[in-house]
Amino acid sequence: MDARAIAQLLGKLPFSAPLPQAVVDRLAASATIRSYPADTVLFREGMHNDQLMIIAAGHVALDMRVAARHEVRILSLGPGDMLAWSALLGGGWMTTSATAVQDTQVVAVSADAALALCEANPDFGYHLMRQVALALANRLVATRLQLLDSFADAQPAVARGPD
Amino acid sequence: MTTAAGERSRPDAKTTSLGKAHFQALLDLLWSKAYRVIGPTVSQGAIIYDEIRAVDDLPRGWTDEQSGGKYRLQRRDDDAWFGFVVGPHSWKRYLFPPKLTVAQANRTPDGWQMVDVPDDEPAYAFIGVRACELAAIAVQDRTFINGQYVDPVYRRRRERALIVAVNCTQAASTCFCTSMNTGPRCQSGFDLALTELPDRFTVEVGSVRGAEIMAQLPTTVASPKHLKQAEAARQQAVDQISKHLDTTDIRDLLLGNLEHARWSEVATRCLSCTNCTMVCPTCFCSSVTEVSDLNGDHVDRVRQWDSCFNWDFSYMNGAVVRDQIRSRYRQWLTHKLASWIDQFDVSGCVGCGRCITWCPVGIDLTEEVAAIRETPS
Amino acid sequence: MSAATSCAIADNPWLAQSVKIAGVTREIPGVATYHLQFSDAALHAHYGFQPGQFNMLYLPGVGEIAISLSAGADRNGTWDHTIREAGNVTRTLAELGIGGALGLRGPYGSCWPLDEHAGADVVVVAGGIGLAPLRPALYAMMQQPRKFGRCTLLYGARTPDALLYTREYQQWSASGVDVQTTVDRSADGWRGNVGVAQLLVDRLQPLVAGNTLLLLCGPEVMMRYTVRSALGRGLRKDQIWVSLERNMQCAVGLCGHCQLGPAFVCKDGPIFRYDRIEPFLDVEAL
Repeated sequence: MDARAIAQLLGKLPFSAPLPQAVVDRLAASATIRSYPADTVLFREGMHNDQLMIIAAGHVALDMRVAARHEVRILSLGPGDMLAWSALLGGGWMTTSATAVQDTQVVAVSADAALALCEANPDFGYHLMRQVALALANRLVATRLQLLDSFADAQPAVARGPD
Repeated sequence: MTTAAGERSRPDAKTTSLGKAHFQALLDLLWSKAYRVIGPTVSQGAIIYDEIRAVDDLPRGWTDEQSGGKYRLQRRDDDAWFGFVVGPHSWKRYLFPPKLTVAQANRTPDGWQMVDVPDDEPAYAFIGVRACELAAIAVQDRTFINGQYVDPVYRRRRERALIVAVNCTQAASTCFCTSMNTGPRCQSGFDLALTELPDRFTVEVGSVRGAEIMAQLPTTVASPKHLKQAEAARQQAVDQISKHLDTTDIRDLLLGNLEHARWSEVATRCLSCTNCTMVCPTCFCSSVTEVSDLNGDHVDRVRQWDSCFNWDFSYMNGAVVRDQIRSRYRQWLTHKLASWIDQFDVSGCVGCGRCITWCPVGIDLTEEVAAIRETPS
Repeated sequence: MSAATSCAIADNPWLAQSVKIAGVTREIPGVATYHLQFSDAALHAHYGFQPGQFNMLYLPGVGEIAISLSAGADRNGTWDHTIREAGNVTRTLAELGIGGALGLRGPYGSCWPLDEHAGADVVVVAGGIGLAPLRPALYAMMQQPRKFGRCTLLYGARTPDALLYTREYQQWSASGVDVQTTVDRSADGWRGNVGVAQLLVDRLQPLVAGNTLLLLCGPEVMMRYTVRSALGRGLRKDQIWVSLERNMQCAVGLCGHCQLGPAFVCKDGPIFRYDRIEPFLDVEAL
């Protein structure tokens, strides 16, 4: 897929749709399309990965390793979602393992190239980082809600008196 | 109001006069007509509402001294029968009784049989209803009769009740009916409205039923002198009212200040004792508890007055929504003065001042509103 | 679904009708669907409700609880209530078993506004036991597929084995409902979504914001954030309907317990258009 086609694809995805066209075009220029059949691993926790990814199709699950042989699924992502933000902000050290749960296609952007563009062009940098920050903020809220465990069975109020 | 209770056409009867010597005849007549006559009487250091059979049951020569957190009976220097304001009781304890079995359930081989409990209370004749109390009854009519669902016991009692109002001739320091446009003059909602003079009552007739009662008593046309005296007596109550509640845009003021710092401040004083809701003539919250016999085959569903100040009033799913006094006081005040208007198109407050008098720490809702009005958020 | 016929509201609002448990479906641990039958056959036949309405279920001597109907008699021949064991009444109910006798009065409250939104795409967002009052709405839409546009169910539960009505999803999908589930905590063998249901709203495609009706029932915190996501996707507040829960005793607006600001949740709700209840929903401990 050429840069123009990638730009068109990016323009439709929720993560990148709000970006100015010029920013999308620049991003597309350093992007490639990667396909992952179901059950293949996109990256592993603790490994190095230099590609920021935006899911174009399919679903990806994120797992964290709790013990040597035990992984916990933290989150699943779908079309339009960003992943591998650590490539951009964490020096490429991945904090989760990502596995395609279906045949999945991602737009992969070289983090080095994107960071270089940010350095050279603060306007580009502002727009890209704003989208990354929004995506992470949304994920932070979602994670907090998950932590609340709001579906846990309501416990009768015991040992509580009036005020 | 419903037709039966409300549309009491007001005949063009002139104001009449009933000598105090004939008041016993009024009581006797009402009892003979199978009314259960309820009126003010002195009990346990307060003027309460209970059965009145004789004139001597009335609080003759007594008055009440009221202020925030204080109620005392005092001897009057005259023999007035209705020379007081209002006490801890209101008529709601008869129309909407504090405790009532609303339904029963009996276990049968075929499942539970649910049984209605017909109300067999005789018709009431209320003697000595004040203007603010007429307003309070009209407010409760909206809750229990005029909505989508009706409380059948309230409706039955209300429709059958004969109301003999007695105009206030004095006011307490806690009274603010003039702010709520509910008094002190009885304007409507009564069968008879009396104004007490030293030796007689002037009587306004408010309904056909009231006129029929009066027709059986030795009344005379009130003289201009007596009318003037009655007017002066009623004016005395107006002149004595010192408390004021500014109700301008009060609904938006309170619902727009749900996070006002004053709620926390009042919570440091409020004991959440529920007194204000128990003495309030319009508060209508209740709970139903299950009372079963020992083998569990016969169950009474007993409704009792509840209060939004009770801690577990808002219990839900293992937690209490209004866990703090702050939120409970806020609920009471905003309901009474603001959201009541959304719900029933009328304020839930009639300005009787009972909640101020009977608050053990003297919290005055008019001061709370004023404080919020002073520094709205 | 027949028009709402309030069979049980006699002159005395406290008078329940006698019903029996005709069957119990164990849904998930701690949650069962009780299939109820009126003792009076004529009542059983004439009873009716609108999706989203609730009944008061009464166990004499124990207490009474407000429970939404989770299916009408057109499904199983019984009036169904899906109930989680939580307090005295629900635990006693669980011990009754088939043939157990109780009382029922209702239906009460407002319903999901399906009739007013013919032609709309309907997004149903449910959390946990919150799917129960929405199931009759799904049934109603499946019965009249031409009346509505796309119908999507976004359903979040705590764990995969806490998802309600899983045996029916296949049929729902076959009837045109896009069923998407997600769980807060994954489990071995779970290949579905992990994460809160709001995320499914965030990524829902396609979404024609202007022609979408969103029906929402779950824990209040979940509903608050789902509304945020929906607004972020371009829905207006008046396109969102939420089902609320409060302490309910009389169910007819007479006992005062269920108030939320000016609303009596029992008779003005439990289902509210979001913009009408929003000012009070976000106030802590109101």
